[in-house]
Amino acid sequence: MSYNNYDSGYNTSYGAGGGGGGGGFVPDGSQNSPGGGRKDYSQDSLRPVTIKQILDAQPVGNGFNIDGSPITQLTFVGQIRNISSQATNITYKLDDGTGSIEVKKWVDSDAIEQDSTKTKLTEGSYCRAWGKLNSFNDRKHVGAQIIRPVEDLNEVSYHLLEATVVHLHFTRGPPSGAAATTGGNVPQQQQQQQAAGAGFVAADLAGYSSAAKRVFQHMRQAEQTNEGLHQQDIAAKLGMDPAEVARAGDDLLSGGLIYTTVDDLTWAVLEGE
Amino acid sequence: MDHPQTPRILAPHLQAFQHKLVRMLGKVETLQGDTAVIDAGGKVDIILNRDCHLALGHAVEIIGKVDGNLHIKVQAATDFGTGIDFDAANAVVEATHRHKEIFYDD
Repeated sequence: MSYNNYDSGYNTSYGAGGGGGGGGFVPDGSQNSPGGGRKDYSQDSLRPVTIKQILDAQPVGNGFNIDGSPITQLTFVGQIRNISSQATNITYKLDDGTGSIEVKKWVDSDAIEQDSTKTKLTEGSYCRAWGKLNSFNDRKHVGAQIIRPVEDLNEVSYHLLEATVVHLHFTRGPPSGAAATTGGNVPQQQQQQQAAGAGFVAADLAGYSSAAKRVFQHMRQAEQTNEGLHQQDIAAKLGMDPAEVARAGDDLLSGGLIYTTVDDLTWAVLEGE
Repeated sequence: MDHPQTPRILAPHLQAFQHKLVRMLGKVETLQGDTAVIDAGGKVDIILNRDCHLALGHAVEIIGKVDGNLHIKVQAATDFGTGIDFDAANAVVEATHRHKEIFYDD
């Protein structure tokens, strides 16, 4: 049966797929020593796409490129044209008006089937799928981790607009306004921080108490290891009441400007870069 | 069986898509026998088939062929309920024509 062939095709890329539920065990991948040939997940992304984009994806090595950028996880919305249930997977044919593609969801026999989700996935209804693009004998399909029904049909419009925005981001760069600000301002801000840290920090800390501002400013400027500074040291250096420093620290922690390191009383500045 | 592309259009685009298969989202205005009028950036006459179940005032997405009189002969209709944001839906149509490369071939 052709399914066996298909299965081996699927396995080759399963290691990077994660999830999926049952079916794809990769002996090599799981027994490698740490760092020895493990997949690098740091470049993983989840990209909204149209089905035409999936069909147009360019094969590169083991993966695919869309708009010249490598893809990993995809998400898209489509109308179910056909459902075929097999012992190990359910294949949905999805059509979003730009093309159609088969989406395979592996059946996890251990999991309790979510009947409510499944019964809503009927022919003609819209659904959203998340998964990875695979190719077997030049035939593309998507191995899906999740397929769920679309409850609010505005999601169809939303998805197509989101896919357009991301496509334009990859082909033309960020919107011109944002490009000018991020591109131009980031280095400038860093210079400001170094040259006239006080001014920049004050602006950044609007809404914080003056104690919090002092503590934060001190933490930015004081010499320290990557463990940061202890609450007591800060209090001593600034000649402030430790309780006041503790309160300031709480504010800064909850605002996400600093974080705890070796213990709850040792803090470091959360750098943007 | 493969499913052909169905460009999303509005009433003003009908002329350009004569004799083509299209997809249109509109609001059901009138229902009369096997015909109906939907509002999709303008009134559009549609010719229904037996499987269509349209509801007055509901949004409906139809797939069908534009005929010589700029009516659409419906092949499939999906009820989109009453909560549809038509501004967003019309923006989609605009986006699909402006950035055709990710939506349609021709």
